Amino acid sequence: MKSIYKLITIPIMILFAPAGMADSPLPGKDKSETCLGCHAIPGYNNVYPTYKVPKVAGQNADYIISALKAYRDKDRIHETMHANASALTDQDITDIAEYFESLK
Amino acid sequence: MKIIKILLVMLAIPLSLQEVVADYKDGKDKSQVCAGCHGTDGNSQISMYPRLAGQHKDYLVYALEGYRSGNRQNAIMSGFAKGLSDQDIQDLSEYYSMQKGLKTLPER
Repeated sequence: MKSIYKLITIPIMILFAPAGMADSPLPGKDKSETCLGCHAIPGYNNVYPTYKVPKVAGQNADYIISALKAYRDKDRIHETMHANASALTDQDITDIAEYFESLK
Repeated sequence: MKIIKILLVMLAIPLSLQEVVADYKDGKDKSQVCAGCHGTDGNSQISMYPRLAGQHKDYLVYALEGYRSGNRQNAIMSGFAKGLSDQDIQDLSEYYSMQKGLKTLPER
């Protein structure tokens, strides 16, 4: 009898599990599609000057927010990042930052 | 006579190419100043300060040199970076790049 009870309640619990608890992706996952071209290639190089494209998975969200806003405002040097950040809204930036931080 | 000249030039080349060699242990010692904001191993628990643990070494060097030269602006970091030598930057970047933390974004 107990096991029948479980058989019924567990699927119901799963069905009504709040969004986010299941693996519904963060909105920043889709919004960060463009970033993958450089930031998802291990050891990918920036050129002039040459250094490896920084790792951003697991980075702190507030830092990513300030970095992206600085690129958007052209307060921080990097032409490709200026171009990519120029189209981002504040909400996009927050979503991307939360997604990166979630990858700890 | 020509041979001596050639030999002297050959001797001089390795001297002029001498680069700063990073020292992990020195980097660890020097990182104590940074730990207040960036965490003891570079895994900062304060969201506004970046994690440095596991970051690419050459990117950390680029960032620190930028703060030192003024190419990259930050009131706090400019103050710290101005006092760093090339050797300090190499050591610190070596230490933080060897810690476990940041990762490359996963492919879809």
